[in-house]
Amino acid sequence: MLTYVLKRIGQTVLTAFLATATVFVLLRMAPGDPAANYAPPNPTSAQLEAIRQQFGLDQSIPVQFVTFLQHLLQGDVGTSFFFKRPALEVVMERLPYTITLAVAAIVVTAVVAIPLGVWMARRANTAQELGANIATIAGQSMPDFWIGFVLLIIFAVNFGWFSPAGFNSASSIVLPTVTIAILQVALISRLVRREMVVNLASPYLTVARSRGISERALTWRYAFGNSAIPVVTALGTRFAAMLNGVVIVEVVFKWPGVGELVVNALKQRDFPLIQATVLVTVVLALVVQLLVDLLYPLMDPRVRLGEASA
Amino acid sequence: MTTSTPNLSEVPGSILGRESAVTRLLLRRSAAARRARYSTIKIWVGVVCAGLVVIPVALAQVLPLPDPIVGALSESSLPPFSPGHLFGTDPNGRDLLSRILHGGQTSLVIGVLAIIVSGLVGIAAGAAAGYFGGWVDTIVSRLLEAQMSLPLLLMLLLVVALFGPSIPVITLVIAFAQWPEPARITRALVLVEREKPYVAAARVLGLHRVSIIARHVIPNVLQQVLVVVLLLLAQAVLLESALSFLGAGVQRPYPTWGGIISDGRELFVTGKWWLVTIPGVVIALLVVGVNLVGDGLRDRVRRAKGDQ
Repeated sequence: MLTYVLKRIGQTVLTAFLATATVFVLLRMAPGDPAANYAPPNPTSAQLEAIRQQFGLDQSIPVQFVTFLQHLLQGDVGTSFFFKRPALEVVMERLPYTITLAVAAIVVTAVVAIPLGVWMARRANTAQELGANIATIAGQSMPDFWIGFVLLIIFAVNFGWFSPAGFNSASSIVLPTVTIAILQVALISRLVRREMVVNLASPYLTVARSRGISERALTWRYAFGNSAIPVVTALGTRFAAMLNGVVIVEVVFKWPGVGELVVNALKQRDFPLIQATVLVTVVLALVVQLLVDLLYPLMDPRVRLGEASA
Repeated sequence: MTTSTPNLSEVPGSILGRESAVTRLLLRRSAAARRARYSTIKIWVGVVCAGLVVIPVALAQVLPLPDPIVGALSESSLPPFSPGHLFGTDPNGRDLLSRILHGGQTSLVIGVLAIIVSGLVGIAAGAAAGYFGGWVDTIVSRLLEAQMSLPLLLMLLLVVALFGPSIPVITLVIAFAQWPEPARITRALVLVEREKPYVAAARVLGLHRVSIIARHVIPNVLQQVLVVVLLLLAQAVLLESALSFLGAGVQRPYPTWGGIISDGRELFVTGKWWLVTIPGVVIALLVVGVNLVGDGLRDRVRRAKGDQ
C-alpha cells in the first residue's frame, strides 16, 4: 500500500515535470516576443534588449530551463511579467474560484445524473428511455461555449436574473455550473445506466427479490451499490479534469478562475504565469486522481492496490 | 453453428400439436426486438440530422448564395427570414447562411481528416500494443496515460500559436488530441482476439506477424473500432469550434463555425441573437446526428458480438 502511494507520487512528480517542461519549451519556440508586449510604445531595440535581460529571455532555452529548475527547487516559479508579482501568488488567488466552480459542477452532476441513470436503467428498452437517451446524446452534442452564450442571452440579458459576466455575487455561479453540468450529466448518466443494466439483470438480484426485499432497496442498496465504483471513478476523473481548467466556460462567463487566467496569460505571453498555472493545476489534478484511486479499497474490499492484476 | 434444428413454430403440424404460446406480438414486444428497433430509429434520426447539415454544406458552391466574405453594408444586421437572407446577416452585411455553409466545409474537412489520421495512428498503435505486449505495450500505455494528465487544451493552443493556424496544423492538433480513444479500444479488443485459435493457425502457417495483425486480427476488430472513430468525428467538430472560439482557428475573414459564434458574442447583448444561436444549432444538429448514428451502430455491433 505504502509502496503503491510512493510510486504514484513519483509518477505525479514525473508527469508534472514533463508537462511543465513541454510547456516551457513550446512557449519559447512560439513566435511573438514577450518583450514587445511589456515595452513602452515604439520601443528602441536597446529597451527591448533590456526587458529581455530582465526577464532572462536573452539566454538560450536550455540555460533558461536549468535556471527555472534551480528556482523551482527553492519553491520559486518566477515572477509574472504582467502582474509584476510572484506567479504562484497570482495563481493561488484564482484557484479558489476554479475549485468552487468545479465542486459545484460535480455536485450538480452527481445529484442529477445518478437518479437519471438509474431511472433509465429501470426503464431500459422502453420508449421513455429512448427519449431520455436521445436527450442525453443532445446534451453532449452542443458546444459548451455555445450553451454558455444561450444561457447568458436567455437568463442574464432577457430576464436579468443573473449578472452577465464575472463574479459579482453568489448567484454568479449558477449559469457556469449549469453549462458544465449539461455535458457532464449526459456523460455520467449514460455510464450509470450501462452499469445498472448489468447489475439489475444479475442472478444475485433475483435471489434478493425472492427473499422479499423491496424494489427500492434492490435498486439502490444492491444494484447501485455494485455500480458505484465505476461511477465514482468517472466523477473523480471528470473533477480532476475540471481542475485543469474549465477554460472555455470560464472565458465565456469571464469567471476569474485559472482557466481564464491562463488564456489571458497566453495572449500576453506571460511565460512564468503560464508555467505556474500548468504546474499547480497538473499537480492538483493528479492528487485528486490519486485520492480517488485510494478510495477503491474502501468501497470494495476485494480491491487490493498495487498488486499485479492477473 | 448447427443447422439441423428446425424452427418449431414454422414446422406445419409441429410436435407440440398447437400454436406456440410465443406469439409474434410477444416477440415484437420483447426487449431484444425493442433494442433492435430503437437502434434503427436512432440511426435514421441521426442520418436525417447529419444529412440536413452535411448535404447543404457539401453543395455550398453550387447553391445560389451570396459571397461569404464580402457583404453589402446596406444590408447590415438583418434579422433571420429577411428577403434573400434566410438566416439574416452580420454587421458587415454578410449572409449568415452562406457563412455557415462555407465555414462548415472548413470545419468538416478538418474533422474528417483529423479522424482519419487519429484512427490510423490509434489503430496501428493499439493493435501493436495489444498483439506484441511487452515493451511496445509499455510505451504505448505510458503515452496514453501521460496524455490523460496533461492540460490538453492549453497544449493545443500553444502548438497552434507555434505553427500557425493553418488547416493542416489544426487537423494534426485535433488528431493528436484524439488518438488515445481508438488506440485504447483497439488494444483492449486485440488482447482478446490474439488468444483465439485462428491467430494460432495463422502463426502455424508461417505468416509474418505484421501480416497476421493487418490481414487477420484488425479486420476482426475493425467494426467496433470504426464506430468509435465515427463518434470521434462529433468530438472533432466540437473541438475545432472550441479552438476557433479561443482564437486558434482558421483566421478571418474565412468563416468557421467557432469563429462565427465567437464574432457574434460581442453583439448578442445588442439583440443580434441570431449570430450566435443559429450557428450553434447547426453544429449541434450535425453532432447530434453523428452521435446518434454512432450510438445506434454501437448497439448493433454489440448485439452482433453477443454482448449486452
